[in-house]
Amino acid sequence: MYEAVHARPDGPSTLARQVETAADYGFDGVVVRNHGNEGQPDNIAAVREAVDVDVVDGVEIRADDPAQASGLVGNYRSKRTLVVVHGGDSAINRFAVENPAVDVLAHPMAGDGDFNHVLATAAADNDVRVEFTLRPVIQGEGGSRVRRLRGLRKLRELVADADAPFVVSADPRSHLEFRAPRELAALGEAIGFDPDDIRSGLAEWGRLADRNRERMGDSYVEPGVRLDDS
Amino acid sequence: MKHLPKHLQPRWRYLAVAIETWPDADLNRRSFQREVWYATQNLLGDTGSADADMTVLRFTHEDGVGHAIVRVRRGHTEAARAALACLDSVDGAPVGLSVTGTSGTVRACEEKYIRGPAKGPEQRQVVFETRDRRAVARDGRVDVATDDGFVGATDLDI
Repeated sequence: MYEAVHARPDGPSTLARQVETAADYGFDGVVVRNHGNEGQPDNIAAVREAVDVDVVDGVEIRADDPAQASGLVGNYRSKRTLVVVHGGDSAINRFAVENPAVDVLAHPMAGDGDFNHVLATAAADNDVRVEFTLRPVIQGEGGSRVRRLRGLRKLRELVADADAPFVVSADPRSHLEFRAPRELAALGEAIGFDPDDIRSGLAEWGRLADRNRERMGDSYVEPGVRLDDS
Repeated sequence: MKHLPKHLQPRWRYLAVAIETWPDADLNRRSFQREVWYATQNLLGDTGSADADMTVLRFTHEDGVGHAIVRVRRGHTEAARAALACLDSVDGAPVGLSVTGTSGTVRACEEKYIRGPAKGPEQRQVVFETRDRRAVARDGRVDVATDDGFVGATDLDI
């Protein structure tokens, strides 16, 4: 199971500290999803060498409109293993699910974002993972948490109906915001998810990273076609 | 009041909880218990929190690390786990926590899941992001004091 984190400079904990906490809590890997405009930790490769868990370089693209997002996706696609789009705006949500170059649409229900059956079907067709973020459930309280829970429920029903792929994350900004997989599964169960779905959503980050690494390898030509040395 | 016959006494499970904070946070059993009740009630509601009946039995916290034993009614441990996951701060101080194990007795819980006193923290001067700074280090983990609060780092970053 993997967790997708924001590491310094996009939060108060460095990547190494987040990875150490992830290893303690039983995660198999960490995806770096720093916002594109906040900067990336400069020691991803060094940390990956030094620890037992996997570290995946990713980026969370934050854009004002689909045109800008499209440019950023094109820019980052060849440089990063995982490309996540910062959702929460109806136009951006639609852009992300209709673009096969995008790996994950993050928190589509944040802010005034919304989701519907058309977008869910598009996500399934284009193999774009929709993220269920547990962060507002863990960090939030009161009316705003109720609204985010309502959003999660709607999203869950739409994703299940369209059979769209999904990922789960607690979206930690610091090592103190980490929660272990078992806690996240229990929390998911408390808010109406199947705990197995939470576990498979956490593991999906790893599957996605493996797939993309294979695609970025030299021997890859297209799905089902690869160059063989022998 | 006369105590209940054995078969009517409630059955308990004890959760060992590991707690982590920034080194300057000051937590005690009372404030932690209050946050546990708030978190449980906010997530599970009045009925769920009455069912789980969570009580903090043991609590220690010093220099950014600590542990607690939380008593939960048997059969409600998963709900209690979910409520504990939502406990994100105590008196405004951010808290990281994880359930390290559950047992049927306090003693087993302490012996199996609570590690002995961690090696005391060490005050250090470190060079972090090209500046000399004050830091608190323990087991390779280093909390560095910067102008805008603490930064969580490890020996790899120094």
